[in-house]
Amino acid sequence: MRIYVTGYGVISSIGENVEESLLALRSEKTGIKQGQKTYTERFKVGEISWTNEELVQRFQLTQDASRTAILGMIAAKEAFRGHSLNPGIRTGLISGTSVGGMDVSEIAYKDFLNGESDDLSIYRNHPSGSTSEQIAKELGIDEYVNTISTACSSAANSIMLGARMLLSGQLDRVVVGGTDGLSQFTISGFRSLMIFDDEWCRPFDETRKGLNLGEGAGYIVLETEETIKKSGKEPIAILSGWSNASDAYHQTASSPEGFGATLSMKGALAVAGLNPGDIDYINAHGTATPNNDLSESHGIKTVFGSAVPPFSSTKAYTGHTLAASGGIEAVFGILALNRGILLPNLNFKQAIEETGLVPVKNYSEGNTIKHILSNSFGFGGNNSTIILSKV
Amino acid sequence: MYFIQHIESITHQDSFQKKNIWDELKPLTADTGLISPDYKNYIPVAALRRLSTILRMGITVSKACQEKVSHEFDSISVGTALGCLTDTEKFLVTINTVSGDILSPTAFIQSTHNTISGQISLDLKNHAYNMTHTQNALSFEVALKDGLLCIDEGKSSVLVGAADEAIPFLERLRGSLIETSHPFTSGATFMVLSGKKGESISHIQACEVFFSEGNTENRIEKFLSSNNCSLQELDLVLEAGSDFKSKTSAHYSFPDYSGYYQSASAFAVHMANDWFIENSDSEAILIINNMESNKLGLTLIRRNEVEA
Repeated sequence: MRIYVTGYGVISSIGENVEESLLALRSEKTGIKQGQKTYTERFKVGEISWTNEELVQRFQLTQDASRTAILGMIAAKEAFRGHSLNPGIRTGLISGTSVGGMDVSEIAYKDFLNGESDDLSIYRNHPSGSTSEQIAKELGIDEYVNTISTACSSAANSIMLGARMLLSGQLDRVVVGGTDGLSQFTISGFRSLMIFDDEWCRPFDETRKGLNLGEGAGYIVLETEETIKKSGKEPIAILSGWSNASDAYHQTASSPEGFGATLSMKGALAVAGLNPGDIDYINAHGTATPNNDLSESHGIKTVFGSAVPPFSSTKAYTGHTLAASGGIEAVFGILALNRGILLPNLNFKQAIEETGLVPVKNYSEGNTIKHILSNSFGFGGNNSTIILSKV
Repeated sequence: MYFIQHIESITHQDSFQKKNIWDELKPLTADTGLISPDYKNYIPVAALRRLSTILRMGITVSKACQEKVSHEFDSISVGTALGCLTDTEKFLVTINTVSGDILSPTAFIQSTHNTISGQISLDLKNHAYNMTHTQNALSFEVALKDGLLCIDEGKSSVLVGAADEAIPFLERLRGSLIETSHPFTSGATFMVLSGKKGESISHIQACEVFFSEGNTENRIEKFLSSNNCSLQELDLVLEAGSDFKSKTSAHYSFPDYSGYYQSASAFAVHMANDWFIENSDSEAILIINNMESNKLGLTLIRRNEVEA
């Protein structure tokens, strides 16, 4: 049975919707710049310029919530536009997030620490599960709601779980993806790990020093063949493969040889029934940390041998949007499939000496792209791969 | 069918590595404390110092489960409602009080929800599917449903569990955001599920989740009848938030025993499994998790049939 994609929505520092994102991708324009908030001003980040209140107004949201939930509502609403709720189509929402409502709870908590009175009602936004419940409410979905929290692979894992639930007949349609708003907690956390690059990040470049953080959300709508007959929706892509595996090497670092990455890429190819040679483009995890890119490169070489297909990381456009990245990049992947786009790996100059791999350098459309593979790797050695195919 | 090969809990009850947890179960009092095993038997001392309660509990019960089954886990599915609260709060305090550029990353690293499942994979050198679910009071049920799906997909040794930890801060939310009369507690329950019966005494027949307000009794009746059961046929109901005391033969409110943490329904599975040990005439147990009024989790557990 095929799993079809029938909707997509995205918001990040390069655009508030799919169309704007495509324009930015095409013009090779990064969304990363010097931060605007007190806790981001020292860093280059992929920040969305609007405040939470402005976003609620601009997108006519019915709920005031955390940034993570708000961004999620915006992208999920775009993905679900044109879909209608129907008791005959059991619809769920599975959303990934790493910090949930931290962007608002950390402000209340700071008041508490300073001995000022904190607004306790703020903390209702904190649980990651609550962000998904708020997003589901915005769409009117109440059949099934779940939140995956596996750090930076959360959205990819949500996509994977959604597909499996459709295949098993537990749901007919599911909105899947992920969201993460920037918070002081996250910025300080990655700073403590000392994996920021003060300059624009350079995925897969020999001189890469680290990542730039970003924020955003990306969702796709999955339906079964049977559901499409009822919903009448035109499929825009097929979700043909997925896999998750554990690197089991280190809590935050990837194994040098990319063992978990190899497992997840091979696993997804097996589910899709494809050979490595069938993949026309890889959207890499490519965070631009020395460790990830080297490990992922080795994994790619292990799976694809000497015939590595065109590959790139789009993190130099959006920054690393953590739990949202797999959702945002799934949307980019669908654009790539349908327009034959090879997405460029901005800021790349010099191949990593040890691997010699050269990513896609320039944007081009009209290429023959039937299958794309997208990687998302998270802390805890959580490695996930999805494969999207042309309808 | 999803057979419970082994189950372990660390809770405020004396529940770790017990033949039958009912031997020691008693309703918790307000001054309850976590009954910790000697973690050194499972976690190297150097690592132990860095680990919060939720990580200690999660790693220890998982390792205790792995020791009892012959196969490596081929899937790991963990539920947690609020995740690693101690480290989250510790890092929040750090970023608000420590000046300068050097911050210790340990609390940040360990604040992520999937530190539990990630540490399990690291400690067991396990490369299998590894998932972390977090859905408030249904965190265990959604993790369980993923585990059941793994078995349907052909996996044979699936580790499913849930863990949550209490921090003093939660007390501030009592009565406003958290409505409970039970003490805030910590707990972890992990189990190994398999499609093969093995030495197990019981199996999970079905688990269903609801995310809207609705008539609980109707939902229960429908759930039970689709699983060839009825309220009258149940030998025991373990529930939170609902009240089916008058409608069943035996009944316990499981938070009376687990205390309040949102993934405590995992401990109710342990109570159900061990109930069958002494109560030889009991066949079917229903866990009703209505801890949050807009959500409902139903889990039906049955004694395995004795082969002739």
